[in-house]
Amino acid sequence: MRHIGFLTAAALALGAAATAASCARTPPRVLTVSGSAVGREGDLLRRQIERFARLHPSLTVAVRATPDAADARHQLYVQWLNARAVDPDVLQLDVIWTAEFAAAGWITSLGRFRPPVDDFFPAAVAADRWRGALYALPWFVDVGMLYRRTDLVPDSPRDLDELALLARRAQDVGGIPYGLVWQGARYEGLVTVFVEYLGAFGGRILDDAGRVAVDSEAADKALSYMRDAIHAEGIVPMAALAWQEEQTRLAFQAGQAAFMRNWPYAYALLQDRSQSSVAGRIAVTPMPGAPGGAPTAALGGSALAINTHSDQPSDAYALIDFLLQPEQMIERAQVVGQYPARPALYATRALAEALTVSPSDALEVIARAVPRPTTPVYHELSQILQVSLHRALTRQQEPCPALREAAAAMRALLARVQLTPPGS
Amino acid sequence: MKVQAWPLVTILLVGAILFPLYWVAIASLTPEGRLFAQPTLVPDALVLDHYRALFGERDFWTPVRNSLVVAGATTAFCVALGAVCAYALARLRFRGKAAILALVLAVSMFPQISIVSPLYLVLRELRLLNTYPGLVLPYLTFAMPLTIWLLVGFFRQLPPELEEAGLMDGAGRLRTLWDIILPLSWPGIATAAILTFLYSWNEFLFALSFTLGPERHTVPVAITLFRGQYQVPWGQILAAAMVATVPVAALALAAQRRIIAGLTSGAVKG
Amino acid sequence: MMPPPPATAGGSWRRDEARFAWALALPALGVIGLVALFPIAWTVWESLHLHDLRMPWLGRPFVGVANYAEAMTDARFLDALAHTAGFVAATVTLEMSAGLVLALALDRLARARGLIRTAVLLPWAIPTVVAALAWRFIFESPGGVANAALVRLGMAPPTWFADAAAAWIPLVLADVWKTTPFVALLLLAGLQNIDRSLHDAAAIDGAGPWQQFRQITLPLLAPALLVAFLFRALDAFRVFDVVYVMTGGGPGSATETIAIYTFTVIMQHLRFGFGSALSVIVFAVAFLFALAGIRLLGGRAFEDRPS
Repeated sequence: MRHIGFLTAAALALGAAATAASCARTPPRVLTVSGSAVGREGDLLRRQIERFARLHPSLTVAVRATPDAADARHQLYVQWLNARAVDPDVLQLDVIWTAEFAAAGWITSLGRFRPPVDDFFPAAVAADRWRGALYALPWFVDVGMLYRRTDLVPDSPRDLDELALLARRAQDVGGIPYGLVWQGARYEGLVTVFVEYLGAFGGRILDDAGRVAVDSEAADKALSYMRDAIHAEGIVPMAALAWQEEQTRLAFQAGQAAFMRNWPYAYALLQDRSQSSVAGRIAVTPMPGAPGGAPTAALGGSALAINTHSDQPSDAYALIDFLLQPEQMIERAQVVGQYPARPALYATRALAEALTVSPSDALEVIARAVPRPTTPVYHELSQILQVSLHRALTRQQEPCPALREAAAAMRALLARVQLTPPGS
Repeated sequence: MKVQAWPLVTILLVGAILFPLYWVAIASLTPEGRLFAQPTLVPDALVLDHYRALFGERDFWTPVRNSLVVAGATTAFCVALGAVCAYALARLRFRGKAAILALVLAVSMFPQISIVSPLYLVLRELRLLNTYPGLVLPYLTFAMPLTIWLLVGFFRQLPPELEEAGLMDGAGRLRTLWDIILPLSWPGIATAAILTFLYSWNEFLFALSFTLGPERHTVPVAITLFRGQYQVPWGQILAAAMVATVPVAALALAAQRRIIAGLTSGAVKG
Repeated sequence: MMPPPPATAGGSWRRDEARFAWALALPALGVIGLVALFPIAWTVWESLHLHDLRMPWLGRPFVGVANYAEAMTDARFLDALAHTAGFVAATVTLEMSAGLVLALALDRLARARGLIRTAVLLPWAIPTVVAALAWRFIFESPGGVANAALVRLGMAPPTWFADAAAAWIPLVLADVWKTTPFVALLLLAGLQNIDRSLHDAAAIDGAGPWQQFRQITLPLLAPALLVAFLFRALDAFRVFDVVYVMTGGGPGSATETIAIYTFTVIMQHLRFGFGSALSVIVFAVAFLFALAGIRLLGGRAFEDRPS
């Protein structure tokens, strides 16, 4: 019997020794940050982290690479955080993920660090709150903007109808094939375009109390307006129903459209004379409003959050605080063209020099920023909405029943996950 | 005419079987730009760039080490515990044997996907995700029944007089097992070890589910996750595929007789 | 086999032997119980609960068969079942046929047996990931060798992996390529057990090769064929690796098999309760196959028999 014990013990000891030896070789604790780390953005991040590391010699900081595509990064985050991984400590989150991660308990609330929330855009901070607590801090903001050709349309349209008129005129008189281009493919981008039309007519996807409001009259008007722009007025091309950001940018860049709805990233590219045929002839404003509503810009961008299971939360917050300093934000504006999340910077010379677009123009759009619904199941809600929006836009269904169906499915989903607000 | 048909069929089939491997091997030595341009059966230029990049830039040593440790540890555990268990099941008398054998066979047929979720939750609770033990433990699910089955078949084939001889010499059962039976069992144990190592090296689903990052990814997972950057780096992927293939191909070559005997003893289901 | 107990020893010998046997067997069986039996029991238990790891506020309430009811009406699940059934039918048919032909060819080999058998064993030995990548590379449009060959033959090949129907072809080919050797070797062993003299007698009686095949080879090979068929069907049913690596279940979810969908539900959607129900369904089907297989292998496998 002794031999049995010896045998088993020997085998186990061997295994244990092998595993222990390899475990012992794991690297010492490092503060890791995960986010966009390719190309110029990656170099910038590493530069700023090095600067931080020099100010905190006791810390080692590293970047943990994630894929560039939003869905792939989201999936990887979900895998790590659900597994209660200790790394990464700091995460770059898409603004629409914060509520989801907060509700799942994957990121920790930042209240105890007493962050200076008033220094950031209120809409961006609101998108980073869940059940009253703050779970992330805005890093940079993205907003949907209306680009226009100043040589064809010298003054900005005052409302949607004037936009349609001017677009039509540019097509008829100016010989431009497309009046207005926006992202109409069946994906998240379509929802952001819809948010802007919806806000123009005074509607919301979820109201302030969190109730589904996408079957309102305003929503019906907004969706009908979008549909008519394609099929009745011919201002927006049918092809746009398969376009995402890049296709619309390329069309506008080649001079084929009088107006384009897109994100800030396009501005620098459009002003680049070596590849753009419209350089120097563009301006940006928020998407105009309509009777009953106001000009609206869909809010995007990224925020920084701390992993709940991080073993260095204070150090992680120190890093976040550093990356959100004005100096770092201005550098980011200059290198990657992303808009800082601090309103105060828009009055500074530094930002004016860093950005291609004028800060006051940018500020005008950001002032109209409306976040998408802050709810843990935003992804699912968006999927439901995308299907209905696209069906209405491709005329497989009328806007009213399409939105009603979407609203019913969204209510059912919220009920199923017990997120129905009281009083609905 | 019929007499000549079979050799031709054999050549065609074997050619079809070997072609993809040949193609991957050649591609792994072809410069990236030429990979999708005018594929030719016989290459003209061969380069080692992809292998160099694989082990230089990409640090492919880590997944290789991870696979070796996990497959090795799994094999060691399974052989150690499984051999004695198989001996008991094959050559000792006790009640419940048939039921246990049936149970072991049934377990070996569990779809892996069916136990991923509880294993994940348990490993997470024990903080074993993304660790070596966190992979070896799940691997025992399929490796242990496999080893036991193989060795039961093998032990049964040993002459029945062995225990008798041992007892007559006054040795206890344990002594007999240790000094007489086991030394004679090396061929069977070697087969079981080889097959266990092979299955563990090739395993994918558990490695994908229970590891989180490159520090603990095994070779199959590491290769799969190469994609996802800008373009798919086919040259490096195929070089990595060759690296993944070499150990098990070598094993298959060296031990083909044993492996085939083990597979066809009716004990293994592929 | 242990010799019969000496006349003087009585019951204690048996008890000793039993105790010794259990001592030897318990560690391995304990491990199996821990890592296999306990988890499968847990999966069944979990399938009766709602457990979404993204929504901890929902808790883990007992919901009875609600998950199973959802599965029955889940279009994506039913699609995955259909896909898997088609995959099983296609691959098992091809593998059995090709495997049989290969086995017959190998049986007639005069020379280089070992070398050829090793070559034949290679696809089985390599990781499935490698097989999937190799075939993906071969079919990668537009410059892959498959397309080059088809174009040369005057055909216009589709964009394989962007086409919902065409994507199945490289998948099936990869799986058939990888597992036909195993089938062939199983059948070869069966073939080699057939007595030569039967064929010689039939030849003397004037039976041609096809007749001999139908009347001697096939019937005697039937048990091996059935075993191979069952185990291959079982494996094809739970296919995961080759699909995940080659198409990821895409385009969209066009090549999603039941194991891939279950994996997505558990590891990506984090719906452990619903995913466990899917797992149990997969397990149940596999269990049916396994039962049939065990029956066929015969109770002989579980008896004590001398060498």
